[in-house]
Amino acid sequence: MDCKQFRENHFAFVDDILPGVELVGMQVHLAECERCARHDANVRRSLMLFRSLPSINPSPDFGKRLERRIRETKAADMAAAQNGRSRGLAATVAITSAAMLGYIGFSLKHVDTPRDIVFPPVVAFAPVPEPIPATMASPAPEMVAALPAGLPIWTAAILAEHSPVHFASLELASFKR
Amino acid sequence: MASIVRKHAVQPVRANVREQLKAMDDSAVVTAFLGGEERAFSELVERYQTRLLNFVYRTIGDREKAEDLVQEVFIRVYRHLHRFDRSKKFSTWAYTIASNLAKNELRNRSRNPLVLFQTVQKNWEDDDRPVQFEDTTSRPDDMYRKRHLREIVEESVAKLPEHHRNVFILRELEGKSYEEIAEITDCNLGTVKSRLNRARNSFAEIVAPYME
Repeated sequence: MDCKQFRENHFAFVDDILPGVELVGMQVHLAECERCARHDANVRRSLMLFRSLPSINPSPDFGKRLERRIRETKAADMAAAQNGRSRGLAATVAITSAAMLGYIGFSLKHVDTPRDIVFPPVVAFAPVPEPIPATMASPAPEMVAALPAGLPIWTAAILAEHSPVHFASLELASFKR
Repeated sequence: MASIVRKHAVQPVRANVREQLKAMDDSAVVTAFLGGEERAFSELVERYQTRLLNFVYRTIGDREKAEDLVQEVFIRVYRHLHRFDRSKKFSTWAYTIASNLAKNELRNRSRNPLVLFQTVQKNWEDDDRPVQFEDTTSRPDDMYRKRHLREIVEESVAKLPEHHRNVFILRELEGKSYEEIAEITDCNLGTVKSRLNRARNSFAEIVAPYME
């Protein structure tokens, strides 16, 4: 082991965390090299000196001051939380109001102003004349022949019997319409 | 009468809780605090106030400011304990906060010469203090020598570069492991070892002439 290696591993040597082989190497080098031995002694003595520095204690009112500061911090945190809550509430109210105003404005814009009532133009159609059945237009020739001729009713009835279907169905049809 | 009886009954309970808290490890105390036991916080303060104060004082060299910073550490602990990762060590977390605050303080000082001047002035006042606070059983020349040596040691620590000093104090004064130091200072293990080695060598070189 040379001096450079010794210096590099010195922290682990001081802290006694070197593995066996390296530890022996360091110890051998320490016995051989006066300069490194002096360095080792200096480091150890200075560390001892530093570790023996008197410890300082907190001032007597440390606890009280801390307690007061924590109380203040708590109060500030609570105030901030409340502020946040009231800010949130204010924001909600503002947004709702804006939305309502917007809705009202929109509604007012689209309200129907009174105007003359305009009806759609009246379209009239001429009724389509119902077609007159041909049979109505021209009664059975037998009836036509019978009526002016002054024939008795029995004869007319007999005559009607001969064309009843034709006559009755036409009557019915015209009635239904 | 009933209130007196109640008072007497409550006091042992309180004392009992304090004793229980004292017997707990940090993790259990933290759990108790998060569970609503306010006295658990006082227990944490009691455990760490002196250690943190010494750490910060050795880092920044100003006692009054060190107390303020330690108070700030506890306030942050109080406010953010619910965010603390309980799989880790509480002490490492507290030291990390303290280390960051001390670092910020040193940075602010280097930016603000007035603060630096005030610190120097405070040290002058310290120098004027009578020697009676030292060990009174020693002879006057011994007391002077001791006090002088203490000042030299403190000055030598102050002369170390900030990142070396931080590692040095955490290791030598607080007895932290390399891993813990790496976590507190937010650097890797190799860097911690190298910084510690350099800090020890520099410190020894500064102090050596005064020890002979």
